[in-house]
Amino acid sequence: MDVTTGGIATRTRSTSRLISLCVNSEWHEIAVKPRSTLVEVIRETIGLTGTKASCESGICGACTVLLNGRPVLACITLAVECDGKQIRTVEGLADGEKLTAIQEAFLDQGAIQCGFCTPGMLMSATALLRDNPTPTREEINKALEGNLCRCTGYNSIVDAVLQASGQGVKPVMK
Amino acid sequence: MSELNYVGKSWRRKDGPAKVTGKAVYTQDVRLPNMLIGRILRSPHPHARIVRIDTSRAKALPGVKAVITVDDTKGIKHGFVETPRYPPDQEVLARGKVVHVGEEVAAVAAVDQVTAQRALELVDVEYEPLPAVFEPEEAMQPGAPEIHPSHPKFVGPYSNIGGNTDTAWGDVEKGFAESDYVREDRFECQLRTHGYLEPHATLAQWENDKLNVWTSSMGVFVKRAKLAKTLGLPYSSVRIHKTYVGGTFGGKIDLYSHEYCAARLSMITGRPVQIVASREEIFSAYRHAQPLILEIKTGVKKDGTLVAQRIRAINNAGAYRGSGVVVIFLAWGFTMIPYRIPNLKYEGLSVYTNHTVRAPQRGHGAPKVRFAIESQLDMIAEALGIDPITIRLRNARGSGERLPNGDNTHHCGLPDCIRLAAEKSDFLIKFGRDRKSPPEGTIRRGIGIGVSAYMGGTLIYPNGSGVIVKMNDDGSAVVLTGAIDIGQGSETVISQIVAEELAIGMDDIKIISADTDVTPQDIGAWISGMTYVTGNAARQAASNAREKLRQVAAEKMSVPAEHLLLKDKVVYDRVNPELRMTYREVIAHSIATRRGDTIIGEGYWRTMRDEPTHPSLATTKGRWTENYAFSTQVAEVEVDIETGEARLVKALTVHDCGFPINPALVKGQIDGQVSMALGHAFMEQVLTKGGYTLNPNWLDYQMPTIHNMAISEDVDVITEQYCVGQPYRTKEVGEGLISGILAAMGNAVYDATGVRLHSTPFTAEKILVGLKHLQYQAKTARSTQIKSVGA
Repeated sequence: MDVTTGGIATRTRSTSRLISLCVNSEWHEIAVKPRSTLVEVIRETIGLTGTKASCESGICGACTVLLNGRPVLACITLAVECDGKQIRTVEGLADGEKLTAIQEAFLDQGAIQCGFCTPGMLMSATALLRDNPTPTREEINKALEGNLCRCTGYNSIVDAVLQASGQGVKPVMK
Repeated sequence: MSELNYVGKSWRRKDGPAKVTGKAVYTQDVRLPNMLIGRILRSPHPHARIVRIDTSRAKALPGVKAVITVDDTKGIKHGFVETPRYPPDQEVLARGKVVHVGEEVAAVAAVDQVTAQRALELVDVEYEPLPAVFEPEEAMQPGAPEIHPSHPKFVGPYSNIGGNTDTAWGDVEKGFAESDYVREDRFECQLRTHGYLEPHATLAQWENDKLNVWTSSMGVFVKRAKLAKTLGLPYSSVRIHKTYVGGTFGGKIDLYSHEYCAARLSMITGRPVQIVASREEIFSAYRHAQPLILEIKTGVKKDGTLVAQRIRAINNAGAYRGSGVVVIFLAWGFTMIPYRIPNLKYEGLSVYTNHTVRAPQRGHGAPKVRFAIESQLDMIAEALGIDPITIRLRNARGSGERLPNGDNTHHCGLPDCIRLAAEKSDFLIKFGRDRKSPPEGTIRRGIGIGVSAYMGGTLIYPNGSGVIVKMNDDGSAVVLTGAIDIGQGSETVISQIVAEELAIGMDDIKIISADTDVTPQDIGAWISGMTYVTGNAARQAASNAREKLRQVAAEKMSVPAEHLLLKDKVVYDRVNPELRMTYREVIAHSIATRRGDTIIGEGYWRTMRDEPTHPSLATTKGRWTENYAFSTQVAEVEVDIETGEARLVKALTVHDCGFPINPALVKGQIDGQVSMALGHAFMEQVLTKGGYTLNPNWLDYQMPTIHNMAISEDVDVITEQYCVGQPYRTKEVGEGLISGILAAMGNAVYDATGVRLHSTPFTAEKILVGLKHLQYQAKTARSTQIKSVGA
């Protein structure tokens, strides 16, 4: 790392490639650099800024999106690898005004404070609940271990997943 | 007292829907057409003279629109504190020399990130390295490299002491002489970072002689004041816009150079400029918290009554004054509040070193002070054969006590907090259990307690908050507040207060917040006073609107105003409830008969209306606040005596936050602080060598993940009430509760293992060394015994 310039590598200029991405059920044809990351393309080219960039090195999970249904870290996924694939971001969770059970549960449990980890948390939790509708606490911990949250201490987030999966956890907020 | 419908209840967050749908716009999400990307060139040296800077090659690179150094600024200094004793000491870009690794030397604006980054590499800077110093006690020695030779010498010949606080209460020497038992200890804490998920980010746009700024902050009015000052602009030419803020924890208060640079680069280029810090930059060059060294001497009577305490705090303050002189002032507060100690003496030293500048961090010194005092108190209790609960109850302050600074504890729930914490945790049943009869296997369980107290809303710029409540024709309301919601839930709390006072629904209220041109001035989310100060301003504004509604209705209905009640957007006569007017009707009548008055309420609040200014940082004289929160926390930990690894299993927080406006939001603050404290206790440490950060990422700097989660329970000792139309007192809850639990974890590690640690973090290595030492002591004691038997 070079402390003088903030540790960002200077990237070489290169020719763009044309790729197709289906983001939240909408197809986009986009020219991307070979080294463009998925989070850059989602946020800057497509303009969906709900997905957050935080550590940009695949550690914190804030940029988690679903790629063909699997949670991936968009900051260390190259956009060119996603050609022809389905992507779902936090903007694609609700059906119009109708929030999903996990979104409602985050509101009910106070699982949100600053909200910066929330989009990534919701995507990881959505993938978990689809594969495993009634996860145990251990399974929730495993599924969300790659998502950092500095505000909540995680308890309310686990409770939100338990509530959304109908495991007897009642809302604490109205 | 009438029934409360909105305050005291756990309403969902007003900003929740925007946050779960990705619609919440944070600073990095704001884009403007024609926007340039800015980057900062930083010092590679901890201390060096700048021989020359040549920006010509960078400027010549295609796509580069501007490159600035200190010569392109007005040379106006700024500081976290700006007082006659501590004048501003920092320029926005380095002039003549650099004093820490990562110090800002130049900034560029270019068409994209790649070009901006390349431009940085083309700036030629010639440095002449100077000797550097990193440890405060070395920096204090005569002959140490002088970091700011021109700064005043506050303490004798010591050149790097950038500030000191000296104060006393009673006669500490007499107190020690009267004590039955006296002990001295030294405690140290590590360097920790804030760990906000949202990186520092700023977008600045200079247009038509107006600077528009979007920046991740903890208070827009402080940012406006400092930007306007360093740019030489009137406040009216700088507008800070509201953005959502992705965590701060103290690390986003003061002016940061990237904010100035984005603004200046936009003024030069005429185009919007965005600067977003990389995570490595935040770890390596931005502000972390302040590691304190604490030397404590305490004297007690045989029954544990505290008689005298002398504390010396030494702060490794980094290369500029930052908030270093504030933390040594506050440390006195964290010393004197919870316990009745008749004789106190305190000395705090803030020492320049060639580290990055320091910022406040949640608790602003309290975790370190309480860790030290509460650890020592347990050692004293053990030496006297008293249990940890008894010694705390014996010394805990109660209601109506006068503090050394002249403040009053008012309704103080501390004795109840201690009693309830002991009871709810079965403290005395569990305490000492594993030490007395170690269980099978390698896991030892321990329990520990810690007490803390925290002040809220102490005077510092901008000192007070205003709120405006604008009634709409239909009886709904728009609330204008300068309060910034950094995740604590200020918009929700303010809405609840307005709903309660105006008898309208939560959904009837829309909040416009944190915009310096649109909203009234606000204290900001950084001195633990928003619910109290801005909340009371909101209460007064809503109450002002309510009384106008009542007056207009009284005239129209020909009923005395005091006979009228308000409920669900209707004003009605309490004697004859059929006599009623909807708010819509009242407002229409007001507009028709009162020169168009659409009903606008105003409210203002500040702490200590009878106190002109903030207390002295040097002497602590002057009152601080009328708002003191108290707490007692219990930690249960598990230690593996084979590996030395320890973890927090369960935390209990019993606290007096006055009146909880939204109990679930209060609980959120508690859980977050417990989590941050366990990071402090067991995991986190910024490692540096020669001023360089060795672990500038979240793999090597470990913050709690979901696997480190501990059970967090709480009990609220409610000492205040909320009555519509009356001022209320809520107390601090957002940062003080990070302290007692840290102390409790240290005491619990001791309880589990017999290892007393005098420094955080409580790493596996330290615990193992402690265990080995205990084994060695036991062996030596045995062999001495055998020898003496043999003799």
